[in-house]
Amino acid sequence: MTVPKADILVIDDTPENLHLLSAMLTERGYKVRSVTKGSTGIRGAQAAPPDLILLDVNMPQMNGYEVCQQLKSNERTRDIPIIFISALGDVLDKVKAFAVGGVDYITKPFQVEEVLARIQTHLTICQLQKQLQERNCQLQQKIEALQRAEEQFAKAFRACPSPIAITDLDREGRFIEVNASFLQMSGYTREEILGRTAFELKLGIDQQAYNQALQQLLETGSLQNQECKFFAKSGEVRTVLLSLECIDLAGSPCVLNLVHDITERKRLENELISLVSHELRTPMTSLLGAMDLLGSGQLGTLTERGQQVLKIATASIERLVRLLNDFLDLERIRSGKIIMQRVQCNLAEIFEQAIASMQAMADQAKVVLVSEPVAVELWADPDRLVQTLTNLLSNAIKFSEPGKTIWLRARVQENIVQIEVEDQGRGIPEDKLQLIFERFQQVDASDSRKKGGTGLGLAICRSIVEQHGGQIWAESVPTQGSTFYIQLPLQEGS
Amino acid sequence: MSKCVLLVDDEEDVRAIAQLGLEMGAGWTVIAVDSGAEALAKAAECQPDVILLDLMMPDMDGRTTLKQLKANPTTQQIPVILMTAKVQSSLDESFSDLDVAAILTKPFRPLQLPEMITQALSKV
Repeated sequence: MTVPKADILVIDDTPENLHLLSAMLTERGYKVRSVTKGSTGIRGAQAAPPDLILLDVNMPQMNGYEVCQQLKSNERTRDIPIIFISALGDVLDKVKAFAVGGVDYITKPFQVEEVLARIQTHLTICQLQKQLQERNCQLQQKIEALQRAEEQFAKAFRACPSPIAITDLDREGRFIEVNASFLQMSGYTREEILGRTAFELKLGIDQQAYNQALQQLLETGSLQNQECKFFAKSGEVRTVLLSLECIDLAGSPCVLNLVHDITERKRLENELISLVSHELRTPMTSLLGAMDLLGSGQLGTLTERGQQVLKIATASIERLVRLLNDFLDLERIRSGKIIMQRVQCNLAEIFEQAIASMQAMADQAKVVLVSEPVAVELWADPDRLVQTLTNLLSNAIKFSEPGKTIWLRARVQENIVQIEVEDQGRGIPEDKLQLIFERFQQVDASDSRKKGGTGLGLAICRSIVEQHGGQIWAESVPTQGSTFYIQLPLQEGS
Repeated sequence: MSKCVLLVDDEEDVRAIAQLGLEMGAGWTVIAVDSGAEALAKAAECQPDVILLDLMMPDMDGRTTLKQLKANPTTQQIPVILMTAKVQSSLDESFSDLDVAAILTKPFRPLQLPEMITQALSKV
């Protein structure tokens, strides 16, 4: 072996022994230091700690046991393995050697091979021990780092001002963990919440809405800002935005529920809406009335240009009034302030009313309206349904060339009625088919001016249909025409 | 037939427009006041054919004014038409408990006011 082996310190007062051991070890490649006095050995060990010490027991001045004790009491030399070598063969001597901290005991006269084997064994043990200590130290550091990280996140979770809850995905959404803010908002204690579901606690979101949200969550991995009601233990109702995120906790799929309380914002919004409603409507009433009086000619005759100007002003104010009406209508339906007055009504009669109110507009645009009603009874607000259909028909007329046809149809499928409004208009680009049901999302930005719409009609239609527990969507072939579909349950809860 | 209308609205401009419409449209007589309290006094004093009453007014609102008009034997027989800035037909439901001849939504066409009032009164 070319690499120098361990550094060994030999302490023995008999020069012959010292010589023999030293020669034997040097020959085997060990680096050897030899001293005849215990005190010298201790100093040497402290100056440069060897890997192992061979120590004679019987020495004048300071015997081997004392030397060992001193070495063991010192930080720097404590861990050096010490093998005693002595002519004393008594068991008690050996026991004492171990008691003061020796790792082994060799009796003189010794066999060279035995000494070498024991040295090698203890060096290996010592090395393994060192490795073990290092590993232990590394693990300890890792654990501490993890604990710190865990503590950071746990603290962030616990102290987060937004209510957060973690629910499981495979056991009906039972609460696994909630933060203090969530407890405060719900009014429940941790014990009352953990292990239960939001439905059991009647926190507000109905099973159907939650399942829908969950479905969307599973499809897309997250759900952003779903508005819903939150019922606290006290019965207090708050409006919240719920965001869900799929997370994996220790191998089980869970849901992170983030709750954002917007009750106060909603209240201000409603206040603003009613303020706007009144404050804008009053001057509009005066303006429109004034235009009307001017246009009647009873206040003096206007020139042709004057009348043209007045016509533009009147049309603009009328559009403003329509916009305000639609806006307020939509906000009230969305916020649930307008409750659908659902009664048992006949779809054929609703068709009749919708066609009757749109016939004049269709005639003017030279568009043919074809109604194919079904005399089916349904549980709905007839005024609101007529409003929805006239809205769709009005759109269809606006975008139809003269001579084209618009169909208003119905078909019944089990306990659902599907209403269709089909036109032969310019069609709707595919990427706008969903967007058009949002507020102010016309296909062409200039449509509201050219076609006289407010950009809110379809949003109102959707709100009305959704309040009836139905759905509305559109299909279209550009340049060929569009079809709007409404599906409504025939009876309540069906 | 010429009529006497008591017009109650806190907004001066709205009052002026409605008054012009009634006067120019049908040559009716208009007594215009700007509060519920004044309306109660004028109604008893002048005995108009109809009262056009704004719903949203400070101090005494249309609802309260209406109740007091109907509670007073000297004014209870006068038909009242409520004017409101609200839009929904379903809101009419909330007025069903009130003794009104009609509900008129703002904005209105001033020159059409006489005809609307005549129609409403014919239904009473």
